Amino acid sequence: MKYFEDVEIGETTRFGRYEVTKEEIVEYARQFDPQPFHLDEEAARASMFGGLIASGWHTGAMFIRMVCASMIPGAATSGALGFDDLKWLKPVRPGDVLSVESVVREKIESRSRADRGTVKVESRILNQRDEAVMSLVSLVIYLRRPSAAS
Amino acid sequence: MKYWEDFKVGETADLGSCSPTEEQIMAFGRKYDPQPFHVDPEAARRSIFGGLIASGWHTCALMMRLSVEAAQREQAAATGSPGIDSCRWLKPVRPGDVLTGATEILETWPSRTRPIGFVRRRVEMVNQRGEAVLAIVGISMYRRRPA
Repeated sequence: MKYFEDVEIGETTRFGRYEVTKEEIVEYARQFDPQPFHLDEEAARASMFGGLIASGWHTGAMFIRMVCASMIPGAATSGALGFDDLKWLKPVRPGDVLSVESVVREKIESRSRADRGTVKVESRILNQRDEAVMSLVSLVIYLRRPSAAS
Repeated sequence: MKYWEDFKVGETADLGSCSPTEEQIMAFGRKYDPQPFHVDPEAARRSIFGGLIASGWHTCALMMRLSVEAAQREQAAATGSPGIDSCRWLKPVRPGDVLTGATEILETWPSRTRPIGFVRRRVEMVNQRGEAVLAIVGISMYRRRPA
């Protein structure tokens, strides 16, 4: 198990593979982000995006799905406090294949809770042309290695 | 139609309310964030959260739904967002919680290159006990009023 102590600043990981479908873009948009350029191909063509694009929050959801599949197994994480500096850099379109590149930027020991710390992880979500479509800095909670005494 | 020119610093708005069910929390969790405390009530009870909680990304999605509905009510000429300055999941969201959204405009500025403008706003989601569960500062884009 990878604990807070085991995380190293500068550590870089490339992981994940997520095929974006039109059906999923529209399904997410119907539930959470019903704007014409996420819902309706015809309206999307007439918009400034020139075609159907995924909700930015949907891209965030696909990102966390890849994190859950690849990063969380074997890591003593316990959710996240949130994130900073999220940028939606390029449209995500049907047929795009996304992956993630993450770099550990900073480790912060909790002042109030001795059993955990926060790790700042900068991630770029890339499409099949290696263009970054989204980037963010996640504040991930890692548990500390239990001491031998406890 | 509400254009970029019509958004004023200090303007506040209620976004309305929503209440995620256990089934919705688990469905989102299974699809996008299958950590035990989002998908398995029994495992969630044993976790540091003491019970099933919504994915933070689900709470953001619910905030977006309320924001889009509010924008459509006022016919805002919305054209997406370049990003979010900060997002904090302040408290767990549990099945049956009633979340109410509120927003305040912090800053507006025009694009120098395109016929749009930017609005930076704070958005909060508060539960039925008045506790903030989500705090976001983010940027939205709107078309400018045609000359």
